[in-house]
Formats: sequence, structure tokens, C-alpha cells
Amino acid sequence: MKKIIWFILTFVLLGIIIGIFMWLYAFRKADISVASKKADIEIKAADFLKNFTDNEETANKTYLDKVVLVSGIIDKITEDSTSVSIYLKNPQDMAGVMCGFNKAAIDKSSLRVGDTVRIKGICTGFLMDVVLNKCVIEK
Amino acid sequence: MKSKVLLLAFLAVVQLANAQKYIAKTGHIWFYSHTPMEEIEAHNRQVVSILDSSTGDIVFNLLNKSFEFKVALMQEHFNENYMESTKFPKSTFKGKITNLDKIDLKKDGTYIAEVTGDITIHGVTKNISTVGTIEIANGVITAKAKFKVIPKDYGIQIPQLVENKIAKEMEVTVDISYAVN
Repeated sequence: MKKIIWFILTFVLLGIIIGIFMWLYAFRKADISVASKKADIEIKAADFLKNFTDNEETANKTYLDKVVLVSGIIDKITEDSTSVSIYLKNPQDMAGVMCGFNKAAIDKSSLRVGDTVRIKGICTGFLMDVVLNKCVIEK
Repeated sequence: MKSKVLLLAFLAVVQLANAQKYIAKTGHIWFYSHTPMEEIEAHNRQVVSILDSSTGDIVFNLLNKSFEFKVALMQEHFNENYMESTKFPKSTFKGKITNLDKIDLKKDGTYIAEVTGDITIHGVTKNISTVGTIEIANGVITAKAKFKVIPKDYGIQIPQLVENKIAKEMEVTVDISYAVN
């Protein structure tokens, strides 16, 4: 009798532990920031853009969901209540790379229009510009 | 003769000034799903929109993968199982403000905007009509709207297993501020 109780108890305990791990896994995933991830691809903003304007379909296959480290010149910095956007664009180009930051993930006090920066983010695709989100500034 | 040329030039300039295009690249669209079991919301702050003040044409383009959820796993399911974002990366709306004559974009105020057009989600296009507002404050134009989207209408199948966690109707909210281009 005692054996059975112990058996059930171990079983339940094991279940709880597995449950906690799964729960942690699911929620931790949200937490894994781009900052701690290694970039899959490093590229200049202008080349990045060109790949998309040349052939969006191929570029999607190469870059979607990838962590991309892009370097370029800041054309514009905008913000709303919870996010900051940095637009990287060469003065002679028509479009560029739009990088979205969570406000907590960026200190923009030292950033100026015209600065060259390196930004790491996840590529979500191409609209008028190439779009990255969940970005961080790479030192 | 000279005055005629001047008049023509003047008219051309007026025409150009009227045909102004307003562009937003960091517009905000989010959706909200509510059931007694679960509340889900996801925000996209990288919406591109173009508003043509001479014709009332209005376009929204967004990348499905730019929607951010609180839980990464939900975002994964949204993109992989429901929206199939690799196959259909974008959702779009292409339409018209039909009561443009009642909206003075040069004058501060809040105006009711009647909008009708085609929305494309998950590769399926549907005609929708909704009523939103256009707010003008210090020359900045902000377009706002709220409407319902039924996933099933766009061929998005929600498995029975999660049926009571995902609402039958999504409430979509649009909030976009434009810059003059």
C-alpha cells in the first residue's frame, strides 16, 4: 500500500517538475533578447536594401526571422509612448532600413542623425523599407 | 500673356499642394482577442500607410511578422500555424475615404471618416467598410479606426484544441500619425 502511495507521489512530483520546466521554457522564450544572440548575418544597410529591391522573394528566404547586424547612417529617429524607431538610410538612396526598438532597450541620448551605427535585430520583411524589430544597438 | 502664364503656374502649384501625400512608416495597428479563458493582444508598430489628400486614397501595409506578442510561443503559433507568414508575409488594406469633402486636413479638429476598401489577410481579399476618425492637431494628421476581423473569413483555421482560447472575432485597432511628404 505504502509503495503505491510513494509511486503516485513520485509520479505527481515528476509531473509538476516537468510542467514547471515546460512553462519556463515557453515564457523564457519571450525573454531571450536579441542582445544575447549572435548575429546570423552581418550586412551594410544599403546592400541589405538592395537585396530586397532586387528580389524580394529570395531576400525573404535569406533574411526572414534571422538576427541581422546591419550598419548604416541614421537618417531619422522617431518615438512613441513605448517604442523608438531608427531609420537607417544613405543620403542618396530612396529607401533604407527601419529598425524598431522597445523603449527600454535603447538609450538614444547619445545617438544623432548622421551617425554611423550598428544595429542588431530580427528581420520581419520588406514594405517601403527593410524592417527589423526587437532591435538593440551593437557597440 | 505673361499674366496668363503666371496664372497657369499658380494653378499648377495649387494643384500640387492639393495632391499632397501623407506617409507613415511607424504606424501602430494592434489586435485583441478575448475569451473567458485567455486574453491575447499583439502590436505592430511598423505599419506603412499612405494617405492621398486629393483623392482620399488610403493604403495600409504591414508585415505579419512585425506583430509582437507578450509570449513568444504565441507569436510563433500566430506566424506558423494561423497566418502562415512565410507564405503570406503581408497584410494590406487598399481603400478610400468616401466623405473626404467633409474633412479639412488643413484645419485642426476631429473628423469622422468613412472608409471602404479591400483588406487582404492570409491571401484572402474581402471588401470592408468602417467608420474611423481623422484627428488633426498642430498640422499632424492621425487616423484611427476600430473594426472586427473574423479569422475564419480569411481561411484561418483555429484547431478545436484552442478554440476556447482564441476569439471568433478579433478586434483590430488602427492608430497612425502621418508626416507630410
